Amino acid sequence: MNTRFSWFNVTSIVLGFAFLYIPILLLVIYSFNDSKLVTVWGGWSTKWYEGLLKNDALIDAAGVTVRVALVSATIATILGTLAAIVLIRLGRFRGRTLFSGLVFAPLVMPEVITGLSLLLLFVALGFDRGFWTVTIAHATFSMCFAAVVVQSRLLDFDKSVEEAAMDLGAPPLRTFMEVTLPIIAPAVISAWLLAFTLSLDDLVIASFTTGPGATTLPIKIYSQVRLGVTPEINAISTVMIAFVTVGVLLASYMTKRSSMLREREKRAVDAGAA
Amino acid sequence: MAANAPVAEAGAAKPASAAHKPAGRTPAPQSNFAPWKDPAKQPIVRFENVTKRFGDFIAIKNCSLDIYEREFFALLGPSGCGKSTLLRMLAGFEKPTEGRIIVGGKDITDLAPYERTDVNMMFQSYALFPHMSVEKNIGFGLRQDGMAKADIDVRVAEAMALLELEKFAARKPHQLSGGQQQRVALARAIAKKPRIMLLDEPLGALDKRLRQQAQFELMRIQETTGTTFIIVTHDQEEAMTVASRIAVMNHGELVHIATPGDIYEFPQSRYVAQFIGDVNVFEGKVTSIADGSVEIDWPAGGSSFTAAAVGGLSTGQQVWLAMRPEKVRISLSKPTAPCNTIPGKVIDVGYLGSISHYHVRVASGQTVTALRANSAQTVEQNIKWDDDVWLEWPYDAGMVLDK
Repeated sequence: MNTRFSWFNVTSIVLGFAFLYIPILLLVIYSFNDSKLVTVWGGWSTKWYEGLLKNDALIDAAGVTVRVALVSATIATILGTLAAIVLIRLGRFRGRTLFSGLVFAPLVMPEVITGLSLLLLFVALGFDRGFWTVTIAHATFSMCFAAVVVQSRLLDFDKSVEEAAMDLGAPPLRTFMEVTLPIIAPAVISAWLLAFTLSLDDLVIASFTTGPGATTLPIKIYSQVRLGVTPEINAISTVMIAFVTVGVLLASYMTKRSSMLREREKRAVDAGAA
Repeated sequence: MAANAPVAEAGAAKPASAAHKPAGRTPAPQSNFAPWKDPAKQPIVRFENVTKRFGDFIAIKNCSLDIYEREFFALLGPSGCGKSTLLRMLAGFEKPTEGRIIVGGKDITDLAPYERTDVNMMFQSYALFPHMSVEKNIGFGLRQDGMAKADIDVRVAEAMALLELEKFAARKPHQLSGGQQQRVALARAIAKKPRIMLLDEPLGALDKRLRQQAQFELMRIQETTGTTFIIVTHDQEEAMTVASRIAVMNHGELVHIATPGDIYEFPQSRYVAQFIGDVNVFEGKVTSIADGSVEIDWPAGGSSFTAAAVGGLSTGQQVWLAMRPEKVRISLSKPTAPCNTIPGKVIDVGYLGSISHYHVRVASGQTVTALRANSAQTVEQNIKWDDDVWLEWPYDAGMVLDK
């Protein structure tokens, strides 16, 4: 394989990253702008960040967002893990294809449709829209992502490890808690982080299912931007980018670390056998 | 044959390690150990007309099998013959479609794996718990039984001593070599003190040298603990080395159950004869049966053989005469002693140090293998390629097979 830098490679990387990240970089830079005008550079300042702390509406929205993300990520991870276990462990049961289709459909479903259908459901059931409807909606769409992450870990999980636990006297539930769960824990944690991140930055589904008193940060930002972009919005966006980046990095680190550990384990076994 | 007394040999090979549990040793020589011949003896494991189907595929066809206490029983067969399925049914991971499984007089057919306290299994992949130390792995089964912590520690220490694992107590499985992992897997199952130990290709992942050591280790532990061992293997040498009895399986059926020596010397079918060791087979027809011997016409080679008669033969019946290569003598001149002889031409000589293989083409066009021990330093009759030779074997050395 040729890994040398050629002009073509360098150019495509620079162009690709520029296309993806220059807007974000601009946003981050302008969040430190001293000027009140978003497009005019007036020197460095952190006053918009200080202003954030005094903006109760934004702080409230951030609080709602974090609470929604915490609860919905937890629900999504539990349901997603269960779905993944059913899909991988129960073998071929009646309706398996349908079930896996239903679990993974939200991955490709347009968010507008998901949001609208959830809204219709909540209205039909007579739920008051607010914190819980947003949370349930977020759990619904992020569950499939959690299921994908856990499923991929279960696929290369040696089933005989669970059989060994049962053979040694552990009933199925205890086998799951003492053997299966600790082994797939990294995947479960990264599934949770992914669901958490997805919930943090969702606008479409949240705006369909939210109600009074449960304005999430993305909704708040969106509604403020319609009145004009202020440097304050830049600042809060920068904070969100930081959160999401940390979440995604952590999730991918957990996945990578556990797969590296497994690799090392396999190599050790091979070395022992050779 | 070494296979006739494997347990006695194991004790002699490792006297130091056998000292862990001197009280448990039973020095009964293998030759006297034959509970399957004693009609008063109750089997510890009984498969009663067990059939297992996966959809349309029949994995096990109407198997009935008795295994006795303290046996080292081997299930031997090619991959896909159903031997692992049979073991997994005993462990409780598969349920028989028909039939019953009885352990110690109790019907366990419908019990879940974690309810089968008499049976523990060692897995081919070892199936160690990667997130637990060696010590925790070995103690796992005891913790499931709700045993007191102090008792667990004693039992774990005992199992680790038995398998010489004390040094590795705090290590995680991925910090161990394959051979060490294999011993942890064995220790984990043995710590539960099951009456029956199931071993599913336990040494399959080890290299040849380590595997031979591990075989003797298995025999030592089986003898020390007095446990009944049931091993699944596709390696006939392994089965011959460790087992007191072997069941040869093919396509979900038990083809032949006997001691290693009987399986080798008196196979009941060509399949068994060819699966265990090397064999030369001549196809022929029975021409006459008279006082203990049988005449077999061998049309392909234009000659006939005499062999010891077996029951159930009739004149004109199609039979196969099977010959082990080490029972075929090869010489340059026509033998004079009364025995079966056929001429041929040497097409290949394989010198293996202790023995030589001779591949001889005979009149029928087939290749017959003869073995000769290189006992003298200078071979008095130096047989080379393309030499015309005579093959001979005593009348009673061949096995007459009717299937």
